Amino acid sequence: MGNLAIYLKLGWRNLWLHPLRTMLTAAALGVGIAALTFLSAMDDGWMQQIKTNFAMTVTGHIQIHAKGFEDSRNLSQRIEHPDKVIAAISRVDGIRGIATRVRASGLASSAGSNAGAQIYGVQPELEQQMSRLSGFVAAGTWLPDHDVHAAVVGDGLADRLGIGLGDKLVVMAAVPGGDIASEVFRVRGLIHSGVMEVDNLIVIVPLPTAQHWLGLGKAITDIVIRADSFDQVNELAVALKMSLSALGCGSFEVLRWYDIDPMAQQWADFADAYTWIVLLIVIIVVLAEVLNTMLMSMHERVREFGLMGALGVMPAQIFAMVVWETVILVLIGGAAGFALGGGLSLWYGEHGIDLSQFAIAFSFMYMDPIVHPLLQADSGLRILAAALFGAMIAGLIPAWKASRLQPAHALREL
Amino acid sequence: MRDELISARGVKRFYDSGELKVAALDGVDLSIERGAYVVLAGRSGSGKTTLLNMLGGLDRPDAGSLSIAGQDMLAMTVAERAGFRLHHLGFVFQAYNLIRVLNARENVAYVLQLQGMDKKQRFELADQWLAKVGLSGFEKRRPDQMSGGQQQRVAVARALAAGPDLVLADEPTANLDSHTGESLMALMRQLNDEKSTTFVIASHDPAVIASARTLITMQDGKVESVKNL
Repeated sequence: MGNLAIYLKLGWRNLWLHPLRTMLTAAALGVGIAALTFLSAMDDGWMQQIKTNFAMTVTGHIQIHAKGFEDSRNLSQRIEHPDKVIAAISRVDGIRGIATRVRASGLASSAGSNAGAQIYGVQPELEQQMSRLSGFVAAGTWLPDHDVHAAVVGDGLADRLGIGLGDKLVVMAAVPGGDIASEVFRVRGLIHSGVMEVDNLIVIVPLPTAQHWLGLGKAITDIVIRADSFDQVNELAVALKMSLSALGCGSFEVLRWYDIDPMAQQWADFADAYTWIVLLIVIIVVLAEVLNTMLMSMHERVREFGLMGALGVMPAQIFAMVVWETVILVLIGGAAGFALGGGLSLWYGEHGIDLSQFAIAFSFMYMDPIVHPLLQADSGLRILAAALFGAMIAGLIPAWKASRLQPAHALREL
Repeated sequence: MRDELISARGVKRFYDSGELKVAALDGVDLSIERGAYVVLAGRSGSGKTTLLNMLGGLDRPDAGSLSIAGQDMLAMTVAERAGFRLHHLGFVFQAYNLIRVLNARENVAYVLQLQGMDKKQRFELADQWLAKVGLSGFEKRRPDQMSGGQQQRVAVARALAAGPDLVLADEPTANLDSHTGESLMALMRQLNDEKSTTFVIASHDPAVIASARTLITMQDGKVESVKNL
């Protein structure tokens, strides 16, 4: 590293022996890196929306159930003493909010029609802090206090049942013993979340009513937890499991948001795969752009490498010099590209990209029709690292060739 | 007492030419003392440049023995030969002597930097040597801003600034006009007088041959004659 300054000086000046060639290569590289930076920011923005919408619409960051409930949805697998569980987990750091729910599948009926429904018995005030459901009320109100037979219904389900505000709704579901129980509610609000799974299925009712109707006593099915941030979810889940085991209860399941829905998990996996694809393309772009330029440069300077060898420059030093030259070229193009791609990402991150014409398709995936690219430091660093890795690979061949030249032969080259 | 700098015994070097092996050097015996000013003369293809490459560690003999400053050149690895060149040898080539992207001062200081000298010291030394070869005021000029003669002078300054035991020059006047060539040879002889640095110069230029103190004539890869003048 003692001669790093001279490598950098020689590398920098050699690049500007042919300014047009260097500028063209750097520009092509810059456009490629800019496009990939923007694509990566779009991906991060989408993923952030999917995560936030999925977790904040209904699911929460983490849910605790009786073991096996998520798979069976059977009310016999319930948490009998939620107060004890909440007392045990409330000492865990990183929890922003806790709510309890009863969740059951059932059948909703009106005078003229019926349809499958997802029933949520919730604590109205706590739920407002936990999820966005109350914010999605498009007509009427959120569950009013002291109205034990109030229901808030997804607008898609209401359409299918042909009901509106103030209409009567009968909901049936299986109780723990296997019998069917029904309850009558009055529609007080309609919600529109944009997520078809929610709008076409959900029926939200007060928790005490659901517990009584379904014969659960004080039992619940879900303890829903909101973390301070997505980054803390894994750590928090581990801490929650530890706190539950300390309670002496081995019969709980602690599920992260992406454990609850396989589609969310697949989207997270796809985002990871997409990131690797972007990085692979970065490496290929850098290789394609830079290798050709560096090989041309190397062949033009065979005598110069011979001269350096004659003067006593070690083969390893010549190797390092050519690699550094490649790195400088990639840093010029990469910096320009990252500035351009980053700038576009920030601007569109602020103003959004309107993809409303694809809103229905997006709603399946908890995506908003206005996409806000998200420029994240770790994504930027990964692209930079991939570009430098590509530069190293692109530099290896010309560097190897230059370092293997025999000075006596190289000096005879014309 | 005799102070031998170069000792070559039975040095041979063959090159493949199709199915034939051509002897570029065919058993060269040579002894050169420290402080000598030697010109290797001979026609093109006589083996001058090949011998110079052997002496400079730029190429390896196929047979024989060769030692310079007491170092066995055949026993050295590629990296060891590079290190030996850096600390013991200086070169002046026919053309393309300088690194294009460095100015005159930086070209001279380049080898000094590789030797580990600090920036202030190496730039001062570079400027002193540029002054000695008559290039004061040319320190910041790049090779493409200097004439061929000026570039050769920078190469001489670079070769000598590093304090070598031996300076090897291959056809140093070939691309220069006669006046510039004579001026360059006068400079090299003067430096040989002042510094007692050993010079071995390969050339078929009559002016260079006329400047020799020891003239070694080569023919067909062999030393034909050695004359002390």
